[in-house]
Amino acid sequence: MTATEGRAVPATGEEPPARRRRPGRRPSVPAWLRPAVWLPLVVMLAGLAALWQYGARRLPYLLPPLRDVGRSLLDNPGYYVHNALVTLGEAVAGLAMGFAAAFVLAVLTSEFPLVRRAVMPVATVLNVTPLVAVAPALVVAFGFGPLPKLVITGLICFFPILINTATGLRSVPREVLQVYRTVDASRVELLWHLRVPSALPFVFAALRIVFPLSVIGAVVAEMSASGSASGLGTAISVASSMNQLPVVYASILVLALMGVLLLSAVTVAERRALHWHDSTRD
Amino acid sequence: MTGTPAVEVRSVRMVYGSGPSATFALDDVGLTVEPGRFVALIGPSGCGKSTLLRLVAGLEQPERGDIRVHGVTPAEACAAKLIGLVPQSPALLPWMSVLRNVTLPQKVNRRAAARRARIAGLTGRQPPAAGPDMRELLRRAGLGDVARKLPGQLSGGMRQRVAIVRAFGLRPDVLVMDEPFSALDEFTRESLQDQLLDLWEESETTVLFVTHSVTEAVRLADTVVVMASGPGRIVEGIEVDLPRPRRGQLLGERRFHAYEDLIRDRLRRAWHHDAA
Ligand SMILES: Nc1ncnc2c1ncn2[C@@H]1O[C@H](COP(=O)(O)OP(=O)(O)OP(=O)(O)O)[C@@H](O)[C@H]1O
Ligand SMILES: [Mg+2]
Repeated sequence: MTATEGRAVPATGEEPPARRRRPGRRPSVPAWLRPAVWLPLVVMLAGLAALWQYGARRLPYLLPPLRDVGRSLLDNPGYYVHNALVTLGEAVAGLAMGFAAAFVLAVLTSEFPLVRRAVMPVATVLNVTPLVAVAPALVVAFGFGPLPKLVITGLICFFPILINTATGLRSVPREVLQVYRTVDASRVELLWHLRVPSALPFVFAALRIVFPLSVIGAVVAEMSASGSASGLGTAISVASSMNQLPVVYASILVLALMGVLLLSAVTVAERRALHWHDSTRD
Repeated sequence: MTGTPAVEVRSVRMVYGSGPSATFALDDVGLTVEPGRFVALIGPSGCGKSTLLRLVAGLEQPERGDIRVHGVTPAEACAAKLIGLVPQSPALLPWMSVLRNVTLPQKVNRRAAARRARIAGLTGRQPPAAGPDMRELLRRAGLGDVARKLPGQLSGGMRQRVAIVRAFGLRPDVLVMDEPFSALDEFTRESLQDQLLDLWEESETTVLFVTHSVTEAVRLADTVVVMASGPGRIVEGIEVDLPRPRRGQLLGERRFHAYEDLIRDRLRRAWHHDAA
């Protein structure tokens, strides 16, 4: 459950070209209304649901019927919303902390080779250490409050951001650097005007990895802190100890939805910030 | 023309690598360029033309020898923004509009103006007046309509023009260009040559221009410097004594072709010398 995907290069042409719809060309239906776009997914979901229902009938102790999961969600929406917000808060706050630390360190490592030599080995060791195993120790160290959850989430997010940002800061083409070195731009000017903007596509690639990870981090932290009061991870622990299968799966469903939501938010932000970049072009 | 040369290169040697695998990119290279001259460098691939430009632009240090730009070292010249560089690729920033791309080099290193005035004072020249109107400069280069566009929305020739405007916007004393037109088709290339000459003639800038094209060298330059490789060195400097503007009729005349033939001959000799 650690960030083994560590390093990622900005994705190209992965998303459907939703931006810049050409008016007048195809005035009738928006792309996503055409059956060729939505039908495959609907068929897939229907198949999965049927499979689930079959399994639920054969193994009632493992899988609750979908109807029960839905009813749990509808009967008690406040419960899920509250716990989801708690987990979301932990995930986002932890991610923000991890991001700030990783970004600053990435700048320092790319500017000062000495710092790089000191930081990179430690960061790598941290990356290969399974955080699930460390989480209980962190809970002991930082108590049952929100702090260990933020620390665990931050640690999970740290490495992919560090590696991607450091790579991005070094991605300025040589000839661009030469142009600005002949006008003797200072290191701060090079950093601000050239390196940081060049790193943005890499930073967004890291955010795509790290937003889902942050939810995982928050849930793992909640599950490790046996005394914690709320959050979806806690809800899952409690419900499974009391054998309330519908609540367990309803919580998992909400977690998955939350992950999708976060990922879409990154995608939207990326489209806006990187409209100049090839990866967002049609 | 008295006083300090715009560029002075004295017995420069440049070596890449060390031991038996060392490459003598340049050896015993000397070159003096008076202010306001247009000098073309031509020679076989790998003879050290780009290396020479990088040395003049202060991007690398010579192993031996001495380089001066208006009497100061290349590093001091860069600190005072005496040098404008046009690399082989346009090297624009894809997230910035054309206008911001050409103004950014003026915004960095703000202390350059004072240094520049001092260096100009030492050699008795006028430092350029306050920053030029970049919109006007873009318009003159036929880029008035695309000032707000991103580089990714332009054609290759337009991007190269933006790179040239960016360099001219600095009002450099020395303009250093490394095969800026080599990736363009013939017609675009000719029109860009014209625009370059127009800008040059009114700016009193000194130009060092690397090219692979004999015709381009004869068309543009006051002096064509022919280089040879193994080790990289200067074989000959040929003065091109043709009237300007060099366009239309003149390009078909015998005296134009005579210069082309002369340069081709020198290149061939340099090449045979290498092979031998
Ligand atoms: N950074 C470098 N490291 C090692 N060798 C280099 C480096 N840059 C140039 N060289 C060597 O120096 C020699 C001159 O290279 P240079 O790029 O100056 O040639 P050039 O005349 O510009 O060639 P071209 O016309 O192909 O651009 C070549 O033999 C090249 O291999
Ligand atoms: Mg070259």
